[in-house]
Amino acid sequence: MTTQAYYLPQSVDEAISLLAEHGPATLVMAGGTIAMPLINEGISLPEKVVGLRQAGLNYVSRSNGTVEIGATTTLTRMLTQEEIPLLGQAAYHVGGWAIRNMGTVGGNLFAPPPAGDFAVALLALDAQVVLVGEDGQRVLPLAEFYTGFMTTALTPGELVTELRVPVPKGVTVYLKYGRRQANTPAIVSLAAHLVLDGEKVTHARLALNGVGAHPLRATRAEGVLVGSTLDETAITEAAAAAAEECEPFTDPIASEWYRRKMVNVYVRRALAQVAG
Amino acid sequence: MASKIVSFTLNGRETEVIVKPLTTLQKLLREQLGLTATKAGCKQGGCGSCTVLVDGEPMMSCLLPVEDVEGQEVTTLEGLTQNGELHAIQETFYEKFAVQCGFCTPGMVMVAKALLDRNPRPGRAEIVEALTGNYCRCTGYEPIIQAVEEAARRTNGHGV
Repeated sequence: MTTQAYYLPQSVDEAISLLAEHGPATLVMAGGTIAMPLINEGISLPEKVVGLRQAGLNYVSRSNGTVEIGATTTLTRMLTQEEIPLLGQAAYHVGGWAIRNMGTVGGNLFAPPPAGDFAVALLALDAQVVLVGEDGQRVLPLAEFYTGFMTTALTPGELVTELRVPVPKGVTVYLKYGRRQANTPAIVSLAAHLVLDGEKVTHARLALNGVGAHPLRATRAEGVLVGSTLDETAITEAAAAAAEECEPFTDPIASEWYRRKMVNVYVRRALAQVAG
Repeated sequence: MASKIVSFTLNGRETEVIVKPLTTLQKLLREQLGLTATKAGCKQGGCGSCTVLVDGEPMMSCLLPVEDVEGQEVTTLEGLTQNGELHAIQETFYEKFAVQCGFCTPGMVMVAKALLDRNPRPGRAEIVEALTGNYCRCTGYEPIIQAVEEAARRTNGHGV
């Protein structure tokens, strides 16, 4: 069966009505970098597809210390925004030039691991996801948006329209380890956000990708860091906690065992970088 | 199924096509328009051999529905040759032996064109970075990088 209809709504309202009219089997697509490979392979055979490229969700704006990013804003656009350097670093680690020109900020929330190297940065920054449906709008922390492997809190008929990212205080770090230097699936990618008061850590976010069903926070490791002075003991303990609490998988890129080892190494490197 | 008429500029010419829903630009170029420079490699956005420029930006034509380029300007390798003369990038690819089997070449040349349009004097690192989404299994990349460097040198910062 081939696709019977491809809609390109010109607004969010139009997109929502199309979803209501055509039902939950309708595939929603933005940049196409996740959906189209599956369609080309015949793995996904959607009867109806709604494309969001022209729905007016391509924007970056700032209000009250928060950067608002429209869901179909491209990853290339993230490279040139200067508000939050961590987002530029994360976008740089997704695909190559052409993929970044197509792939979107909102779409990356739906990327099956080990993809999702942009979203992991959103998670470390406590980003909020704006969901719009027929009954209006709701806003969720990204950590609550993910519910499992390729499942989310999105209900039928709803769309992700915007990401709201608080401009971080303190220090941020992004590291990705893959089998090649660039354009490579992650063995592990990591985004960290730490705030220090003098020598003491007062806020810690440590998000990992490629080692779970979706990008996830290493909350036990964060707990070790808060209140510490980022000394050798705290770093060792946090790295060990992250390696223990993550839920890596085996795929053709790396084994579960290896990913866990690398979580330890990369968390340690990221924290050492902050400690200086 | 409802086919649609889509209008866009293809290699400088106003073009109108009728496509089935979700037809990719790659399929349109190769199978409906007979423009086979754009290659069908992995169809996953992974190899870069189908790269075309849309409003000057490199995009994977295998992932791009034709309906999405309505009103936009699409450039393929066929659009670089003017009056039967090779484009400067094509010339340097030929001279530097940056073409072996040739499958990756159209994508490589289009990305090189997009790079030199933005940055007429790129450093080696910038060339390598621009080409990371394009795979070559023959050359080891070195002659391709040299060809882009030479094209930049030859146009002396005036762009291509």
